[in-house]
Amino acid sequence: MTPRAPDSAGRRPRWTSLPREVVLGALIVLIVLLLWLAGLVYPQLSTFFTLGNLSAILRNLAFEGILATGMMLLLVAGVFDLSVGSMASLSGVVAGWLMKKAGWPVPLAVAGALGTAAFGGFLNGVIVAKVRVNALITTLGTMGVFSGIALLIGGPGITFLPESFSRLGQEEFLGIQAPVWLMAALAGTAGFLLWRTRFFRQYYYIGSNPKAAHLSGINVEGMQILAFTIAGTIAGLAGIVYASRIQTASSTVGVGAELQAITAVILGGASLTGGRGTIFGAMVGVFFMALMKNLLIILRTSSEWQGIILGAVLVLAVGADSIMNRRQER
Amino acid sequence: MTAAAARPDIPAIIPAVGPSGDSGPILSVRGIHKRFPGVHALKGVNLDVRAGEVHALVGENGAGKSTLMHILAGVHRPDEGSIDFRGRTDVAIASEREAQRLGIAIVYQERSLFDPLSIAENVFAGRQPAGACGFIDRRRLRERTRGLLEMVGLAVEPDVPLSALSPAERQMVEIAKALSLDARLIIFDEPTAALTDAETSTLFGVIGLLKKSGVGIIYISHRLEEVFEIADRVSVLKDGEWQATLPVAGTTPGDLVARMVGRDLSVFTRRMAPDRATGTPRLEVRGLCDPPEAAGAGFSRVRLRGIDFSVRAGEVVALAGLNGSGRTEAALAIFGARPRGGGEILVDGRRIDPPSPASAIAAGIGYLPEDRKDAGLFLEMSVERNITAARLARRGGFWLDDAESRSVAEDFRRKMRIACRDVRQAVRSLSGGNQQKVMLARWLLVGPRVLIVDEPTRGVDVGSKAEVHALLYELAARGTAVVVISSDLPEALAVADRILVLREGCISGEISGADATEEKVLRLASIAVER
Repeated sequence: MTPRAPDSAGRRPRWTSLPREVVLGALIVLIVLLLWLAGLVYPQLSTFFTLGNLSAILRNLAFEGILATGMMLLLVAGVFDLSVGSMASLSGVVAGWLMKKAGWPVPLAVAGALGTAAFGGFLNGVIVAKVRVNALITTLGTMGVFSGIALLIGGPGITFLPESFSRLGQEEFLGIQAPVWLMAALAGTAGFLLWRTRFFRQYYYIGSNPKAAHLSGINVEGMQILAFTIAGTIAGLAGIVYASRIQTASSTVGVGAELQAITAVILGGASLTGGRGTIFGAMVGVFFMALMKNLLIILRTSSEWQGIILGAVLVLAVGADSIMNRRQER
Repeated sequence: MTAAAARPDIPAIIPAVGPSGDSGPILSVRGIHKRFPGVHALKGVNLDVRAGEVHALVGENGAGKSTLMHILAGVHRPDEGSIDFRGRTDVAIASEREAQRLGIAIVYQERSLFDPLSIAENVFAGRQPAGACGFIDRRRLRERTRGLLEMVGLAVEPDVPLSALSPAERQMVEIAKALSLDARLIIFDEPTAALTDAETSTLFGVIGLLKKSGVGIIYISHRLEEVFEIADRVSVLKDGEWQATLPVAGTTPGDLVARMVGRDLSVFTRRMAPDRATGTPRLEVRGLCDPPEAAGAGFSRVRLRGIDFSVRAGEVVALAGLNGSGRTEAALAIFGARPRGGGEILVDGRRIDPPSPASAIAAGIGYLPEDRKDAGLFLEMSVERNITAARLARRGGFWLDDAESRSVAEDFRRKMRIACRDVRQAVRSLSGGNQQKVMLARWLLVGPRVLIVDEPTRGVDVGSKAEVHALLYELAARGTAVVVISSDLPEALAVADRILVLREGCISGEISGADATEEKVLRLASIAVER
């Protein structure tokens, strides 16, 4: 046995060897600093730092942040879910319908909507893990199904939801709205569980090599079904919170949200091949995207540019990562 | 011969060349050497194949047959030596395409076919006859395919999708493809492994036709009776060296086996057979067989047909047998990773139910898969996490204790001398031997009662080999029943107290470690017992 050179690959800790979420987090700090400096010269930019703007950023990212938490779990496990946006719409509409049309008390209606979402996620999981339909196809299909059902139940939307319900999403604590707190609590819990528990750590193994995980005694199918169920429930929660905030259960609130969530999560260090990523990374990704969007608005660029710039950033970030990884392997 | 070479457009229709009287060799290989990192795979191999001859190539696993065939097919390039083919001296076969152009085709076991496409598209993959504008000429494609299918005796329309065909029919499509390439030398690599007896005789009929038309054939098989049935001459390879080329008429299966065995044993230190006459069986396997028509997607076509054996605590048992004999399949079935048709598995007298890796692990069975990278390791993950993987799903605390995991992993790194700079390093960057030690550590950590290791030293350097063996002994000494699967016969002989030989999904014999010789094992593995 010839001992390998002790530091053959890692003598210099290059920035490329840092996890993507750390690089991205540093980038966020850098951008904010630059903004502050630029704000001294161009007063227009300093509106970024007004309390109103900062709290608007947070308020807007809460919805995607909640969705991204579930999405990260799925990507770690080596799958993903395109139906979360539709599920968010559906669960909001179900909650609205139950409390307005069926006259259920608010807590029960919320529970009913969450149950619907959990069941939808479970269904996705069973189709992917047991029937073995590819996750892209399964969730592409259920995306259509869920949003169709949402339209059937709610039409364009259910308005004037009860006061007691809308308080949920509008309550403030320390000047920050409840959805933001909820996102923070959810991400904190999920992050901690994924980081510290035996049970959730299994997802990294499943995503990294499902065959080897199976041969190591991990219940790959069951764990994947559970991941889809959790992600569905979280999507339902996001929909309910959103409906509560705007006091309206819109049937189309989640359109495109799944792609936003996947973009954020991948920016934050996840990989479509699975086994990589952290909830912290998901949050960094969501913040980064929110920051970019906000900047573009402050700079009065048209909304078309948002898509172009965010799309380019995604491909650049992942592409750079991929090139660096290959270089390291050599 | 040359006429056909000049017009590659003409499919190799049979009457092209009759077997000429004396027919010098169509292929002549001289002094071929091939070295891979750490292995000298071919050491000056010679081989002559005549036109119209079926030339069998036999040898143990790892004797160099595949390497030689890959050189002829343009997959590998030789380091030394020359190849003469069809009167051209010293041809360079630089790529698979080049081999095809020269007229050498290799019939793999349905490995080069495309399931959803039609037979015609498979036969002419990437070479479809096209019209002036480059569009595929469907009519010509169909007709030419039909002609080829007739030649191989396959009465199926060219438009039928490949997925509708049986294994034997696919084999025929492979042959049709070889013919379409105007091949004058066709290599069959274990062609009957997936075939029934009836299908095998169809195949032999086609080979007979090819022979008559003057095609040279290299036939690789582990089944010696087939060699005697179909081949004219046979060449024996042993440990990368050419042993002999003999006319089949003048030899016997026993003689061939004797020429195939006898590798250098000096790398292995034979273990002292310990006294373990006492003790109840740790692992009992009773009547293990495959489900009637299962072994579907993802599983090989080898069928298990009733396997019984037991292993006592502290015993090391080797499952020997040639490739395709069912060794790996048996291991997977015992571990619950392959659907089971019948039979039961007991550990310390308790049945394992239901058959799944999780319940096997819970009962105390550990399994090191044959393909480390595909089914064993989490390549992107750290050494530490790979070592603790099998422990994760078992009962244990709710919370992870990373500090404890790290110290456990550090412990194994020191004890097993795993060469890595940090247990947080990704296993991808480790050498094969060290990766294998990580896999072993994973099971040592859960302290299995039974450990099955499949090809534990494949791709592992000599020094690490000895260390892996030492670890297996250590486990046995602590009361684990160890089952070793190895294609490396000297290794199996050296490590095992007892050797079970598998042949076509059954145990064909058992030899105690003290009496075992390579020849005895190989006889049981390759010669059918008269029934």
